[in-house]
Amino acid sequence: MEPNEGIIYEYVWIVIVAAIVAGLAASLAYYGIALDLNPACNATPIDVDKVLQEFKPGVKELGPGIYQVDILAGQFFWNPNKIVLKDPVRVEFRITSKDVVHGFEIVGTSVNVMVIPGYIAEFSWEPPKNAEGRYLIICHEYCGIGHQEMKAELIIERTNTLLDGADIDALEVTGGDIGKITEPTYIEFEGVISG
Amino acid sequence: MRLDEDLFAKITVVFSFIIMAVGGLFGLVQALNRVPFLEMPGLLEVSDANYYRILTCHGVCLAVAIPIYWITGLAAFLSPRILKVGLDKRLLGLSLAMMLLGGVMATIVILAGKANVLYTFYAPMKAHPGFYWGAALLILGSWVFIAAFVKQYLQWRRQNPGVGTPIAIYGLLATFIVWIEATTPIVITVLKDFIPMSMFGKHVDVLETRTWFWFFGHALVYFWLLPVVTMWYYLIPKKLGVPLFSESMAKVAFILFILASTPVGLHHQFTDPGLAPEYKYMHTVLTLIVASPSMLTGFNILATMERAGRAKGGNGLLGWLAKQPWKDPVYLGLVVSMIIFGVGGITGIINASYQLNMVVHNTAWVPGHFHMTVGNMVVIGYTATTYAMLADLFKRKLISKTTAYSHILLWSIGLFIFSLAYYYVGLHGAPRRTSNIEYGGLLPQSWVFPMEISAIGAILMFAGGVFAVYTVLGSLLFGKSRGVQIPGFSIGNPHPEATTFNPLLENLKFWVIFAALLIIVAYIFPFYEIFSRGLSTVPPVATGLG
Ligand code: HEM
Ligand SMILES: [Cu+2]
Ligand SMILES: [Cu+2]
Repeated sequence: MEPNEGIIYEYVWIVIVAAIVAGLAASLAYYGIALDLNPACNATPIDVDKVLQEFKPGVKELGPGIYQVDILAGQFFWNPNKIVLKDPVRVEFRITSKDVVHGFEIVGTSVNVMVIPGYIAEFSWEPPKNAEGRYLIICHEYCGIGHQEMKAELIIERTNTLLDGADIDALEVTGGDIGKITEPTYIEFEGVISG
Repeated sequence: MRLDEDLFAKITVVFSFIIMAVGGLFGLVQALNRVPFLEMPGLLEVSDANYYRILTCHGVCLAVAIPIYWITGLAAFLSPRILKVGLDKRLLGLSLAMMLLGGVMATIVILAGKANVLYTFYAPMKAHPGFYWGAALLILGSWVFIAAFVKQYLQWRRQNPGVGTPIAIYGLLATFIVWIEATTPIVITVLKDFIPMSMFGKHVDVLETRTWFWFFGHALVYFWLLPVVTMWYYLIPKKLGVPLFSESMAKVAFILFILASTPVGLHHQFTDPGLAPEYKYMHTVLTLIVASPSMLTGFNILATMERAGRAKGGNGLLGWLAKQPWKDPVYLGLVVSMIIFGVGGITGIINASYQLNMVVHNTAWVPGHFHMTVGNMVVIGYTATTYAMLADLFKRKLISKTTAYSHILLWSIGLFIFSLAYYYVGLHGAPRRTSNIEYGGLLPQSWVFPMEISAIGAILMFAGGVFAVYTVLGSLLFGKSRGVQIPGFSIGNPHPEATTFNPLLENLKFWVIFAALLIIVAYIFPFYEIFSRGLSTVPPVATGLG
């Protein structure tokens, strides 16, 4: 075979590769612009030394189904660590850290955001209409020796529930049967200097 | 004994495999400890503190130290043989001293538990200053090596005007250019932020330091891969005795790597607050572009293999596959590493796909992905290439073909099991970088079974790694008298050295300037956003037990 025989396939393949790249880029742009699906969120700077005074964690109902949830992260807790939302349509999250980087993830949803000290991460989430029951919230960025213990619970209640009480403990739609969290879990670890 | 190129290569290559043995053991311990509700016998059970200590070591040693040592070793071995020009001995000595000192220093600090910060060392966690100084020394040592390499190349270029750069040298040059692009930002932030933070308690802006880190982090990935890509282009045609299907396509691929491997770091920060979606999207597009040279490479190598197979009488749609020299462990390893990399690369496109990233970011999906890419390249690509170095560099036989096959087979099967399991739990939200994922029993049941399966994969991977280390070190120790002679680099074989001179492809200065401009365009906006908003600095936080 001559060295240059088949060189036409090279050009064909280059065109295919370019088409794949352009196709992917275009579809991601479509989701971003037309459907307003962007992973990004705003950040408002906050003085980390004053975060404990200025930042008030908690859940507020701004309107019917519209919630504002302010969460403070720290080694090794989420505060609040139990969030109850009734018929949520939109949730405005504001999350910050008092010490190191943490990662806010609601297991089984697309909520996934880095929590960076010095900044309040602000984003909103529209839970799927069928979202109901208990969700596990974890920390997905290494933040120190107790990182694997950092957890919280989100409970979505529906007026027209599709679940009966027994289902809530063994839930599939929510990404797993995550039992019950009772007391706030602030964990102390020996030998760790935090904050 | 005077330090020459070969001695340099021997030291760094042997060092890499010693590190691989330690790092692989830690990998196994991690994988077993993460299985929910699994009780393990004494030594294999580690406390949380020790988990993060060995995880830091695993990341730093396998993903940063091995590539630096092994790649400089490969270049020191290969480039004088191809170019017939030596490397500056004084620079070689200086670089070796800096790299060994830096690597050993950082490792000691990590093993002493003074740097439980993982290989990403995100501020404001702080480690002992020895960790940052060690890392900086290691990287600066590699720069000294690159200075020697570039000096050698320019000397060759002056002596050989109008000759095309041999593909192996072209690939190594691309590797080192990417490494300089990658490490410049990390050196800046380590010197300006991390060392002052750790020594004098300087307050730093976390979003800014994260952006510097990932400015480095993705190009680091290409530094890992490019030498193996170079060996696909160089050794596969040699083993087959045919020219590369298209040398200019190979050079175009390397140029695309030079251009697009760095201005893409925001794809690791899609979920970071405070970086505008427009910039993240720009980095997404550049990431998709940097996927294209891998697709060109796959085509080029497969076409080379097909051409050779058909010339040997392999007919029909796939008959040429039967005519490949599979029995040569070097050839087998290189082709297997390419197949696995293809699978890992596709999952990389998923990570990079902007919105989809929210589903997988920081989940177990990610280690599933990078063991198929970098883990595979190191354990199969680097190791198979080292088998080929035995004949030329070490003047040794291969201790046993069976152990070499076992290495490739066990590691590949184990890797597929491990990674598929991690992909699966990752899609179900299981995190990475955790000493366990039980959450006091609150974990979703869907995580448990795949994690158990992943442990089986990890055991097989570890076994494959043991065979790899045994085959290399065993050949060095006993391969003088025992073992089988396997073909080495066949430096004299004309394929694929015959090169044509294409002025545009040879003008690397032009492409480096182009790359620098792209990097500036890609990073000036995010940095402007961070600085114009006003930095929000925070004090350091100690971790670990020290
Ligand atoms: C015996 C083979 C190996 C096994 C069983 C193994 C296992 C693991 C596991 C289970 C993790 C996840 C830990 C966690 O997220 O908590 C991990 C992380 C990692 N592995 Fe491996 N690994 C092996 C070999 C390698 C190799 C050869 C490389 C690269 C050359 C590598 C690079 C990494 C890196 C960069 C991380 C991430 C560390 C971090 O998140 O900070 N591994 N490994
Ligand atoms: Cu954490
Ligand atoms: Cu990347």
